[in-house]
Amino acid sequence: MEKFYAIIENVFMKPMTKLAEQRHLKAVRDGMVSTIPLTIVGSFFLIIAFPPVPAAWKESMDIFLWISKNIGDILIPFRITMGLVAIYATYNIGYSLAKNYKLDGVSGGTLSLVAYFMTIIPSIATSNTGEGLGFVLPMSKLGGAGLFVGIVMAISAVEVLRFFKTKGITIKMPEGVPDSVARSFEALFPTVAVVFVTWLLFIMFKFDIHNLFNSIFNPLKGIVDTPIGAVVMVMLITLLWTAGIHGVSVIGAMARPIWLEMLTANADAMQAGDKVLPYITPEPFFQWFIWIGGSGGTLGLVFLLLFARSKYLKDLGKATILPAIFNINEPIIFGLPIMLNPFFTIPFVLGPVLATIVSYIVMTLNLVSRPAILAPWTFPAPIGAYLATGGDLRAVALCIFNIVLMAVVYYPFMKAYDKKMSAQELEEGLEEV
Amino acid sequence: MKILLVCSGGMSSAMVVKALVNEGKKEGLEIISKAVGTGDFETELKNGWDGALVAPQIRHKIDEFKGIGEENNTPVQVIETKGYSPLGGKFLLAQVKEMLK
Repeated sequence: MEKFYAIIENVFMKPMTKLAEQRHLKAVRDGMVSTIPLTIVGSFFLIIAFPPVPAAWKESMDIFLWISKNIGDILIPFRITMGLVAIYATYNIGYSLAKNYKLDGVSGGTLSLVAYFMTIIPSIATSNTGEGLGFVLPMSKLGGAGLFVGIVMAISAVEVLRFFKTKGITIKMPEGVPDSVARSFEALFPTVAVVFVTWLLFIMFKFDIHNLFNSIFNPLKGIVDTPIGAVVMVMLITLLWTAGIHGVSVIGAMARPIWLEMLTANADAMQAGDKVLPYITPEPFFQWFIWIGGSGGTLGLVFLLLFARSKYLKDLGKATILPAIFNINEPIIFGLPIMLNPFFTIPFVLGPVLATIVSYIVMTLNLVSRPAILAPWTFPAPIGAYLATGGDLRAVALCIFNIVLMAVVYYPFMKAYDKKMSAQELEEGLEEV
Repeated sequence: MKILLVCSGGMSSAMVVKALVNEGKKEGLEIISKAVGTGDFETELKNGWDGALVAPQIRHKIDEFKGIGEENNTPVQVIETKGYSPLGGKFLLAQVKEMLK
């Protein structure tokens, strides 16, 4: 077993965490994370627009009749937040990366946005009533579907900024000029370079980067959204946690853009009225059906601890049951511990893998709705499952089934550990006397 | 003494903050402590702390945090595993004392 942990530590954990802390990936993760509040608020307007109530209520109660009459207006916050998520992400990624290089964050973010908007050709549009709207940017390329282009443009733009800065190609202002004014002049040459190159590339040579990225990333999303893709994701995250490393934070650095793209695609399908959503495994799939009580699905384990014979395990169970309900389980991972503990490595990986397989099958057969809504991760899992699926009671049933399933997987291992711990306590107790 | 704790989102370390402060009370020490997420660490550390502790699950970022600590003349350490639980206050306080020696 010790050999196994050494392999996890050296072959797996070190390269993975190094990769996640790589400058550009880190900026991508920080930029994506800062869009989470927008995604949560935006997707809640989806719930308001499509309230999880019986159809009969929708046809009879005034409030629901009002909602269905004003659905277009109710969905506007959703369109402005999730529908434009690539804009916010691009700015934030550019800002974070510039900061990381100790450059001016605002210049980095702004330059990233310019580069990104240059990939989208404005067109002249008229409104439904025939009124001229002038030039508009199509929103379809500014939401989840434009994310990867945004990421690449942000990174390229900030690298240009850095190149000019390190080579010293900049307009120097005399002393006494206010800092903010001096900074805006410093950004002049890199801005010229970025705008000119993107103009040549995307406008004059008509290079359709959105099209190219779709043809690359659609198959990738397809692979991630398979049962094998989901199981691999779960195994990577749980194995990192058995080494005591925050698995979602490391893997999320790479997976979050894909998760968000799948989520926005599902949300779009939901507001368009589709009965079956395109993707099964955006992040809420893992959050509410697998990571129940925290990574490794430890809520069931904490319930078992409450009935342990060992005093320490029982006390730990009491102290951690409340945080576990809100999906915080570091106290269990380090307190039990699960980390580097041969008793718990197997159920900690196996339980979530089984829950993933069950949930995937059930959603493939459309027995439970697929997740389209992002709820805060500290919600108790059954409530989160209900909201994430747009109010599907069967999702609550699946969530509870998975809690029991994972508790059953933990049970024999927890029993064995309890036996060892209580024997140890007894021995220590005798020594004290 | 003022001790800053940092974990991924500032959630789990908030529980450990409580354990540390309570343990301090037992020994008659007044400890001011606060939990932040990784994103807020740099800004918060500038506000003047005697020491900072990093949650074990994000120990792969320790070099970055130590760098920020050096800029602010604040010692930064990874919390030892058994100190990172609501029942681990005793171990954590011992580590804090050792760090500030």
